[in-house]
Amino acid sequence: MIKVDEKKCLGCFSCSNVCPSQNITRTETPELRSVHWKRCKEECDLCVEFCPAKALTLVPYDESCPEPTLSFDLVACKICGSRYATEPMLKRIESSLPANLQKDSTGLDWIWVCPVCRRNIEAERATKQMVLGRSRKSP
Amino acid sequence: MPVYVDISRCIGCRSCEVACKRVHGGSGHVNVHFAGDNASVPVFCHHCEEASCTMACFTQALHKVGERTAFDVEKCTGCGLCRLACPFGVVWTDKIAHKCDLCEGRETPACVLTCPANALSLDFELASRRARARAALVAAHGGRR
Repeated sequence: MIKVDEKKCLGCFSCSNVCPSQNITRTETPELRSVHWKRCKEECDLCVEFCPAKALTLVPYDESCPEPTLSFDLVACKICGSRYATEPMLKRIESSLPANLQKDSTGLDWIWVCPVCRRNIEAERATKQMVLGRSRKSP
Repeated sequence: MPVYVDISRCIGCRSCEVACKRVHGGSGHVNVHFAGDNASVPVFCHHCEEASCTMACFTQALHKVGERTAFDVEKCTGCGLCRLACPFGVVWTDKIAHKCDLCEGRETPACVLTCPANALSLDFELASRRARARAALVAAHGGRR
């Protein structure tokens, strides 16, 4: 049976993805994502092995033990406001990257900006000079 | 050896997007963006030297092979950390991560071969050589026309 350390869980769905017997289920709404671990009798430790946060351990089967569910509010993008990731996942990114990579050339904390806005910013940066040049030439 | 863009040549036709999707089973890794009507640019993986996605990946599914940021699908758990670690938003996760692989197994990436405007190339110097050639041509014709 799987035991979850809720302080460590990132809410990333890695365990649910690797589980061969659908014992870890997920629900996602635009604001919230939840993970539910069923009481599992399998002799399999894929979820334990593939948890990035080492939040899972295997314990002896116990019928009386409640099935854990964890829910995570999704963080809103600083620019567009769309919800795009769980807070523990973003904190984890912050701790895995060196400080000099966490701000872009304009000083923006890009980790707290959603991937769609990141692409828009990149496109704007790339075309800025040329847009200026072309606007000048047009009558 | 990533793909380089000569932005002044991009006509915003999205052929690179289509080519990428075609060779990657429907999930593409190129996004063409428009700056009003004045300019367009395809946004895709830079194959960063210090690649954030490889630092965030805990199974080393994403790793550096020379200049390329390579992806080992066997090791991916679909956790989505790489998607959040990419500063340019060009790693996607739909159950499993996917990003530009420079068309592994092909001599030249499909986007480069397809681009009808020759805006994409594997040659870092090409855009500046073209700019110098244009400047020289203008000078030879007696200054700015």
